[in-house]
Amino acid sequence: MLKPRHFVAAMLALALTACGSGANEVEQGSLGQELQGATFTVGSKDFSESIILGYITIEMLRAHGATVNDKTNIKGSTNTRNALLSGEIDMYWDYTGTGWITYLNKTEPLPDPQQQYEAVAKEDLEANNVVWGQPAPLNNTYAFAIRKEKGDELGVRTLSDLAELAKNKPEEATFCIESEFSTRDDGWPGVTEAYGMNIPKENVKLVDLGVVYTETKKGETCNFGEVFTTDGRIASLNLTVLEDDKRFFPNYNAALTLRKETADKHPQVLQFLNPVAAKLTNEVMQELNAKVDAEGHQPKKVAHDWLVQEGFLK
Amino acid sequence: MPAGLAVVLGLLYLWVSGQELDSIERRTLNADYLVTRVTDHLWLTVLATVLVVAIAIPLGVLLSRPAARWLSPVVLALANLGQATPAIGLLVLLTMLFGVGFGIALAGLVLYAVLPVLRNTIVGIQQVDPALKEAARGMGMTRAQVLWRVELKLAIPVILAGLRTALVLAVGVATLATFVNAGGLGDLIVNGIKLNRTPVLVTGGVLTACIALLVDWVGGVAEEFLRPKGI
Repeated sequence: MLKPRHFVAAMLALALTACGSGANEVEQGSLGQELQGATFTVGSKDFSESIILGYITIEMLRAHGATVNDKTNIKGSTNTRNALLSGEIDMYWDYTGTGWITYLNKTEPLPDPQQQYEAVAKEDLEANNVVWGQPAPLNNTYAFAIRKEKGDELGVRTLSDLAELAKNKPEEATFCIESEFSTRDDGWPGVTEAYGMNIPKENVKLVDLGVVYTETKKGETCNFGEVFTTDGRIASLNLTVLEDDKRFFPNYNAALTLRKETADKHPQVLQFLNPVAAKLTNEVMQELNAKVDAEGHQPKKVAHDWLVQEGFLK
Repeated sequence: MPAGLAVVLGLLYLWVSGQELDSIERRTLNADYLVTRVTDHLWLTVLATVLVVAIAIPLGVLLSRPAARWLSPVVLALANLGQATPAIGLLVLLTMLFGVGFGIALAGLVLYAVLPVLRNTIVGIQQVDPALKEAARGMGMTRAQVLWRVELKLAIPVILAGLRTALVLAVGVATLATFVNAGGLGDLIVNGIKLNRTPVLVTGGVLTACIALLVDWVGGVAEEFLRPKGI
């Protein structure tokens, strides 16, 4: 809920960023003119992390002299992917696991991040002419989280602990998950099988992702919630993420995707962005996401400030 | 109408069984899963309709009485609010306040569908020719008899039109129940969209549309029976 005081503050912040936007934006060609004359359209999916990654790309390309159109915040993964394939956008960040499962229609993910990346990059290039840049260390995969004090009380730190709890105190092993998660091989059916958990149906509530976080925080409907590992709300709601000690969940490493002709024509794009990808870890991304989701900063400013802080931009 | 729907469902069945389904699709496109979702969906719709009828028609009658007429703009404004708030926002707000589950989805549906029935009840009763009411009074009927035998009878077609609208709305909005652990065909639709599995999405969509058409058809049949002879 937005309190009136916060609302006023938010409007003020908005007015200030509008006035001072020049200061938060990179100067075109400030790092060189390698991409002068080139025009790119950068897209993103519709959640903060994807938008931040989109702005990181926009800033880096502008700094090297390119003209960039901002098409971030496209509704839905599939629409974003289709925009790339149809040429409506030239590039956006996607996740190795999403490419494998959603676009290439595989059901069995590969356990090793590097192998997963190589497999998806190879098949997507052959089948759809899509090039995948170097993957970031950030792995935005599934996890179960619990509010910190309850987690300590139950002594649950890993998913194996959770499986033990489900055996000994089944009434505490209650879950809030998304309907999507409930049917994926790499979701509920798989994780319960891998850890040998046998959870009765009435202990599993299917809800929207936003509701998963609020209910996990409240702890009335469920103790454990299905979350995404880079989500800023994990820290802001003071949730503990359980360790996936059998490494069951697939790898969802972020990587820039672009059509082959763009990558061939402008090899500098990946050359400039691969080092940036290497710096994007789970911790960094959680922090950047929280700045947008919890503190209400603009994704553009968050992206810019981080690039400056890491020394990629002057 | 039912024959047409049967043909559509038959075609859907043929199309889906002609597809090669992967494990994700098999998890949703099986008899057990589908029957549960359709039952949930029908239950939500039927219960919401019963509640809407029980709330909106008496309230509408009350608000059309001369003594309570000043109240009707206030109540209608509230009903408008229920309808104008995006249904998903309404559900999530209710969830934050009261937790998840079937009851919350039902409450959201009722709030959403109450307006057409309420408004049509009021309008239906108000449009009865005052001369007819006077004539009925002149024949020696009490006020209650006039209401029961003249006003309500003449208002029935309008009230039922509102009810049919509400029913079809309820079928559509019940797909959102998936977001608050109340099941229904929204489970299939959201799953199909999120995972890019067209057969799942199409099955959810077609089943929802069929239920909406079926419910509207039942409403039409009910209207035939309930309509007073000669109108």
